[in-house]
Amino acid sequence: MKVLRLSGRRRSIFLNVTAIIISCIFLFPLYWLIISSLKTNAEIFQSPQTLFPSQIQFTAYYDQLFGPNSIIGPFLNSLIIATSSMIVSMLLGVPAAYGLARFKIKGGKLFILTFLITQMLPATLVLTPLFLIYKGLGFLNTFLAPIFSDSTIAIPFIVLILRPYFLSLPKDLEDSAKIDGCNTFTAFVRIMLPLSYPGLITAISFAFLFAWNDLIYAMTFMNIAEMRPLTAGIYHFMDMYGTEWNKIMAYGMFLVAPVIIIFVFLQKYIVSGLISGSVKG
Amino acid sequence: MDREQYYGYLFVLPALMFMLILIGYPIIYNIIISMQKVDVMTIRDANRQFVGFGNYIDLFKDGLVIYVIKNTLFFTVSSIVIQFVIGFALALFFNIKFRLAERLRGLIVISWMVPVTVTALLFKFMLSPSNGIINDILIFFNIIEKPIGWFIQEKTAMWGVIIANAWIGIPFNMILLNTGLSTIPYELYESASIDGANVFKRFIYITIPMLRPAILSVLILGFIYTFKVFDLIYVMTSGGPVNATELLSTYSYRLSFTIYNFSQGAAVANILFAFLFVVSLGYLALINKDEVM
Repeated sequence: MKVLRLSGRRRSIFLNVTAIIISCIFLFPLYWLIISSLKTNAEIFQSPQTLFPSQIQFTAYYDQLFGPNSIIGPFLNSLIIATSSMIVSMLLGVPAAYGLARFKIKGGKLFILTFLITQMLPATLVLTPLFLIYKGLGFLNTFLAPIFSDSTIAIPFIVLILRPYFLSLPKDLEDSAKIDGCNTFTAFVRIMLPLSYPGLITAISFAFLFAWNDLIYAMTFMNIAEMRPLTAGIYHFMDMYGTEWNKIMAYGMFLVAPVIIIFVFLQKYIVSGLISGSVKG
Repeated sequence: MDREQYYGYLFVLPALMFMLILIGYPIIYNIIISMQKVDVMTIRDANRQFVGFGNYIDLFKDGLVIYVIKNTLFFTVSSIVIQFVIGFALALFFNIKFRLAERLRGLIVISWMVPVTVTALLFKFMLSPSNGIINDILIFFNIIEKPIGWFIQEKTAMWGVIIANAWIGIPFNMILLNTGLSTIPYELYESASIDGANVFKRFIYITIPMLRPAILSVLILGFIYTFKVFDLIYVMTSGGPVNATELLSTYSYRLSFTIYNFSQGAAVANILFAFLFVVSLGYLALINKDEVM
């Protein structure tokens, strides 16, 4: 490890440059996604390949937006499903996390364990029964089916990630809030929730992303093309587009864009969610 | 019931009921379906024929499920080895203190966030035989002579999906191991170097033992998440060519929703569940020992 013995400035330059090179190699697939969406399909099939489009073209985006089978419909479907699922899972998950942190209830440990285990279950396990249950309830081909199913992924995550936050808040806070005229619920909403906002941001972004990224539930429970979210739509478009890779990559960009936006603004919270969501289970 | 219990349940029960109805009940229902004869003809019947372990026996007689289990294990172990080794190397590198360390380490996490559907399409594109950039790069460095038809041959198809899956998993390994590394007190290394331990010895005798809990949980969680991968395979290969990349999850899906043999689909899902259950117990035992609960 001669490298580490390099002194001061040169060592720092060496490390930073190496880190940049590593990151570029690792993130190259994302660069390729963006670049390919801006090429013509003729250029994509050119050999040798161009590492940068000879002429930046937005036609693939234009076709996706305003061509036949516009992406706007699926995009809105994705937005409706992800937002609703986020709301449902926050409404159920946040109080549950608080209840498990703040009150000593019988079976509390067992409940935590239940949430922990459900987080590890494969979607395939519940897919067939859910299909039959939704069929009976008339939920198939409605947004309710993916919204509810996606919430089952987010709720355990929210509970497990927020419980430590609520545990770390001093109990005196609630007592003094009560002296000021709050009851258990208003103390929870007005005092405890605002204090745990970093955890809430992590929870809310993951709840949205779980549903936004879901393919299997949407694809299984909704057969009507007009109702498909982006993930399920792209799977069907693949056959149609064949090897029109620039269009497929542009489609992918619409799917990735909200994720990147959330990531850029909330990176700190995302990384902390990744750590505590899995290490602490 | 005292007030404490009353309020506690009021907060917890809605979420718990929701999960019991949509996850708990389906798990039991799934076991029942797997022991009945359920297909398109019988799906509406109230009294479906009970066949006991018949569906499981049929699956193993047919033999494909054994091949699929082997595929799933191969996919899981290979993915884990690749993402662990690279993730660990990155974790060690980004643990060194320099200006861009934290920023770039955070940036790498993005591959874990990208919707799997997009990752699948992207790697399918990059691995395509006619214009895939990965073939071009391999040819450029003289590693191969002519383009590989990644998803045409059975052997390479599996490696194609493993590469894509490892790309998703590397940040996960890196971040968790990096967090573990940051908890090792620097004084330990200092006193070891004074005692004459070189970099290699310090790694073996300090880093590895101190990192043991983090390593174990990364490996076990990696197993759990990888063993049940569905989206990636479904979009990239749909299990092909000739079942070469068929995993328990995709096989179960195909049985239930392509040929509508719901009972065999449920049986395969239960086999998948059995594997995960055993490993999850290991994980629970591990975190229980490390406090947490």
